Formats: sequence, C-alpha cells, structure tokens
Amino acid sequence: MEGCVSVVDDDALVLRSLGRLLRSAGFTVRTYPSPQAFLAQDSDTAPGCVVLDLSMPGLSGLELQRALAASPDPRPVVFISGRGDVPSSVAAMKAGAVDFLVKPFDELLLLAAVQSAVEKDRAARSVRQELSLIAGRVAALTPREREVLARVVDGKLNKQIAAELGTAEKTVKVHRARMMRKMGVDSLAGLVRAWTVIRQTGAAPQY
Amino acid sequence: MDSHSTDWRGAAVLSGARPAFGWLERQWAVPALLLAVGYYLAARVGFAFTLQPHPISTLWPPNALLLAALLLAPARAWWWLLAAALPAHLLVELQSGVPSVMVLAWFASNCSEALIGAFLVRAFVPGPLRLDSFRNASVFLLCGALAAPLLSSFLDAALVKLIGWGSGDYLDLVRARVLANVLAELTVAPLILTWAALGLQRLRRVPARGALEAAALFAGLLGASLVAFDLPLLDAHSAPALFYAPLPFLLWAAVRLGPAGTASALALVVVVTIWGAVNGLGPFSGGTPQDTARDMQLFLIAVAVPLLLLAVTLEERGRATRDAREQRLQLTHLSRVAMLGELSGGIAHELNQPLTAILSNAQAAQRFIARGDIDPEELADILRDIIAADQRAGEVIRRLRALFKRAETQFLPLDANELVREALGIVHGDLVMRAVEVMPQLAADLPPFQGDRVELQQVMLNLIINACEAMAGSEAGSRRLTVRSRPVEGGVQVSFIDSGPGFPAEQYARLFEPFYTTKPQGLGLGLSISRSIVVAHGGRLWGSSTPGRGASFHIFLPAGAA
Repeated sequence: MEGCVSVVDDDALVLRSLGRLLRSAGFTVRTYPSPQAFLAQDSDTAPGCVVLDLSMPGLSGLELQRALAASPDPRPVVFISGRGDVPSSVAAMKAGAVDFLVKPFDELLLLAAVQSAVEKDRAARSVRQELSLIAGRVAALTPREREVLARVVDGKLNKQIAAELGTAEKTVKVHRARMMRKMGVDSLAGLVRAWTVIRQTGAAPQY
Repeated sequence: MDSHSTDWRGAAVLSGARPAFGWLERQWAVPALLLAVGYYLAARVGFAFTLQPHPISTLWPPNALLLAALLLAPARAWWWLLAAALPAHLLVELQSGVPSVMVLAWFASNCSEALIGAFLVRAFVPGPLRLDSFRNASVFLLCGALAAPLLSSFLDAALVKLIGWGSGDYLDLVRARVLANVLAELTVAPLILTWAALGLQRLRRVPARGALEAAALFAGLLGASLVAFDLPLLDAHSAPALFYAPLPFLLWAAVRLGPAGTASALALVVVVTIWGAVNGLGPFSGGTPQDTARDMQLFLIAVAVPLLLLAVTLEERGRATRDAREQRLQLTHLSRVAMLGELSGGIAHELNQPLTAILSNAQAAQRFIARGDIDPEELADILRDIIAADQRAGEVIRRLRALFKRAETQFLPLDANELVREALGIVHGDLVMRAVEVMPQLAADLPPFQGDRVELQQVMLNLIINACEAMAGSEAGSRRLTVRSRPVEGGVQVSFIDSGPGFPAEQYARLFEPFYTTKPQGLGLGLSISRSIVVAHGGRLWGSSTPGRGASFHIFLPAGAA
C-alpha cells in the first residue's frame, strides 16, 4: 500500500506503535506528538491522510480537523479515540472524517480506513489538479473571450453572439478560435466538459 | 397464655422443625442438663461457704445461676429449665438432712427469686440480656441483683418460720438470705451472662499479648487478694489499708478486659475473701459468724456494683467509638467507590491506550516478519514498548485496586508530591477527555508527613474532579487546573486552582455540608468526607474563590505528626 500517513497522538507509546503498524503495511509514516507539532512541521506533498487522536491536551482533534479542512489541500482524516462517545464521533463524521475507530482496534480496521482515506485523497487531488488547470486557463482569457466562452457553451451561434455583444461575426470567430486554443480544447464537446468541471466546483465565471 | 402460644409458634416456624415433645423442645435439653449439673455444684459451693456454726451460707450461687439461665433463655423455656433444676436441688439438699417439706419450700423460694428477677428484667430489656450497656447493667442490678433477692427472701424466711425449721428472728433470717443472695447475684450472674455473650469463638481470637496481660492481671489479683484476705489477722490497724490491695487489679480489669474480665476478677476476689473468712483468716474473721458474714458481704457488694457499672460503661463507650470509626470508614469507602464510578470513562481511556499500543506493536511485528523484513533492532524496540505498555496498564489496575479496597486507615510516611502525581495519573484519562490542561507546580524539599495514602488520594481526586466539573462549561482551550505544592509553616500545603466560574461567597459555607451538591448526579458527600479525612490527619481543608475567575481549594497537612 502506498501513501503518506501523518499520525498525531499525544501518547508516545501509542504513537510509535501506530507508526510501526502503518509502516509494516507499506505506508510512508510521519508521527507527531501534538497537533501543534503537526501544524508546524507537516507538509502535504504526497497523497495521503491524517490519523488523529480525538482527545489531546491543548488543541483537540476536532479543532485540528477544522483547521485541516480549511487548508488549500485538505487531507482526509481518520479519527481514533479511547472512548466511543456518540456526540464527538457524530461531530467528527459530519466534519468529513473518513472513519472513527475506538481504541483498541484491529489492524485491519485501521489499515482499511487509512487505505480508503488515501484513495479518497488521491482522487480529490486529481480533481483539484484538473480544476486548477482549467481555472488557470480561464483566468488567462480576456474579458471578451470569457463572454464568448459563456455564450458558446450555451449553444449560441456566432451570429447570435455577435448580435448580443454588438460586434461583427468575423470578430467573434477570431475570439472564439483564440479562446478554444487558450482553453486547450479542439472541440465544442471538450469545452463543455471543462466548463462543467469548473461549474461543479462553483468557480465558473458569471456573466 | 395467648402471648405464650404465639411465642411458641413463632419459634417453631423459625427453627423449621416441630418440637419433639410438645413444650419440651429438644434444643433446650443440653442447657437444662448443664443447668442441673451447675445447680448441684453451685449448691455444694454454697454449703462449703457456710460459717460454722451459723447455718446460713455467705454466698448462695444456685439462685443466681437459675436467674442467669432464665435471662439467657426465651420465656417459653423457663419452666423447662426450672424443672431441670429440681432433681439437682433434691439431690443436694436431701443429703444435708433437711426435712423434705423444707427442701421443697426452698426450691419454691429459689425459683421465685429467679422468676421475679427474670420477669422484672424482661419487662425492661426484651430478649436475652447482654450486660453491655449502662442501661442493661442498671436494670440487672436493680431488678435481678436487688429486687429479686429481697422479695424472695421474705417468702423464704416466712416458709422457714412456717415449717419451723429455723430458730432465728424472722428479720434476721431475711437479712442473712438477702445479703447472701445479692452477693451471689452480683458474682455469678454477671459471670455467666458476660461469658455467654463473649462466646468461645471470640475468645479464641484474643491475641497472645491480650492473653498475657490477662494472665498477669489475674496473677496479681490473686496475690493481692490472698495477702489482703487470707492471712492470719496480725494487726487490726493494717486491715483498712489491706482492703484496697486488690483494687488496682480490679480497676485494671474494668478498663482493659471488659465486662467478662471484670466479672471474672470480681468472682476471684469474692471466692478468695469468703474462703479466708470461712477458714478464720483475713480482716473479717474474729467476730461472731453473723457479723463476719454481714461485714464481708457488704464489703464485696460495695466493690462489685461500681466496678461492674464502670466496666459496662467503658465497654459501651468503646463500642460507640468503634462503631463511629467503622461508619466513617464505610462512608469514606462508599464515596470513594462512587467517585471511581464517575471516573470510569477516563479509566477505560487509561487502559485503552496501553492496550492499543500492545496490539498495534504486536501486529506490526507480525507484518514485518511475514514480509521477511525484520530489523532486529526494530523488533527489540517493539518488544520494549510492549513491555512498557503492559506495565503501564498494570500500574493503572494496581492503583485502582488500592482505591477500591476497603482497608483500615494506615498512617505511613508520605510525600505530598508523589501523592499529587499519582492522583493526576489516575485521572489522566479524564483530564484529557475533558480537555483540561494541568499545570503542576510542585515544590522540591517538602517536609514528609504521616498519613493514609488511599484516603488522601481520595481527597485529591475529589478536588481534581470537582475542579474539572466546575470548568465543564468553560471554553475548551481555557480549562486550566493548577496543582501547587509548597512547604508552609508546620507542614505542607497542596492547592488545586481551577479556571472555572468559581462560587459566590454565600455558597461557600454550604459546600462542606453533607448532601449539598451542585451536580445533577453528585452525592454531595465528596467535600464533607474530604474535610473529615483531612481533619482526621490533623490538617485543614478550605476553599476560596473570586467569582468569574475560578476557585481554589487547599489542603494543609502537618509535617511529621500523625
């Protein structure tokens, strides 16, 4: 199994044992004795996840989860806890945790949860990558090209677009060709697909 | 007869078996036989303690024996016991050549004494009489040792005059019989009643030191009594001083040996004194037999009554003290167990941590081995961690077991910082779960003090839990508990300072009241028991608060002293 797992637990014995278990299963592991140490030192270069103890002095696991979710590249969280109390497990799951394991847990449970979290991260990363690519391309368009883009994906003909924008059909044709090139697509279908991706994330430009 | 038959049926239901011969219940066969033998021997003693040529005994124990037997037995067995005494009475009296009418009359008066005493005592103290309280002893002295001999002696003397056996004056006869029987009631009945209550089981548990003390006491008492009452009377002036020779030993018995020991010591003195007088020895000899008997009896009665009351009062007071201590121990233990119940979530957490470490380490090792990728150093680390985790779990359980156990208070030299660290260790899981940040500020070089480890830990745990609960409503990041130890004049002070809302001044006095609580699930005993524990250590427990800025509770424990 591949992936980079960051483990945060204030109990040194538990922290070491979880690190060993995850390494024995093939993961790359980074261990942190406190949420503060994690925030200060951890960087998320490779796809992976965070295994987080729910109750730690100082910053609680739920607070760290919130901080992680707000980061630009949020990694999935697998919670572990010494007690299985319902309110905090509900809060953790609502906030998007992949799983909530009550100590002591079997290795298979932990490894399965970590594995699914890593895969989730990998998928999320590729979506984010494509999104940022498309968003970058959209950002490179001139205002006029964006106006043309919005109307092209609406299915309008060059003539209609020219009428709406109050310009010549020939000019629209030029804008359209330049826009298609900048967006890295060579068909209307490709353009609509890219448009759908940014629309899904709510980042589509509004005109 | 109605109440009698109710008694009888009640007993049959209780014993679960129908009596073999109607009113003759089998369970009373052995006591009745013993009573008959005892009655015979007691009468022989009574005859032996007769001052010749005066025919009336100075100590007549059979009646006291009968009374004691009745007082120990339920009323339904009384007639049965009295009937058992009749053959013994006939056997012993007919040997002495007394006319059989007189023999039967005496049996009637003897039985009347026992019955009068038993009825009167039962009227005030239902059930078998135990000489273990001032009230019971007073009832026995007034009804059993005074009223019964007095009333029955009028009957006795009247019967003697009626049959024409005796030659003396009626009132002289009454007086002689009253004194002989009062003395016997004071000597024999308490002996039987106290030893019956004591039982052989408890006697076997007397430690060697106690047995040695009793042996020394009785040896001294015997020596002093022999010197005082059994030496030929040389100098009439030294006699009053000699009367007091046995007194220190008798007081010793009353203070240290309880009612049974005191009754035994009294019996010894009575026997030695009378033996001396009968043999013409000691301070009472020399006068007419009537005078000797009267003086000696009055002396012994005057010694016996206050001594028995003293022994019983001391016993009662000692029992009250023991009961109070036992209750305090029980309450302390109960509140401790209740407190541990509140901690159970945190304790589970404390056990889950090492269990998780053990399981994950072992499973990691399995995987490394299965992969054929074993680093011996890593394996050694894994095993070391497993051992450490196992020891940690064992330590949690060991501490809990000490707290759960109900043990006698034990004062040992203690270190306040160690107690604080152990208490914080026990609640560690709770502190983590409640997101309470602990700031220990423990001073080095604290003076050692004496105390009970478990009870003081209970106090500290209670204060820590209270602090945590007081902060439950605060923002998660702001729950801080400062635990500070420092040497103060005369001892050690440990303070628990929380960052909760505190309490208003008018609430403070109520905090230490039993059953006062601000928690929905609390018993309200924590602080009051904590304070009683600290006070029992010669220390103080108090609190202070600035409302809105937290509360603090302080324990002061005196150094050195217990």
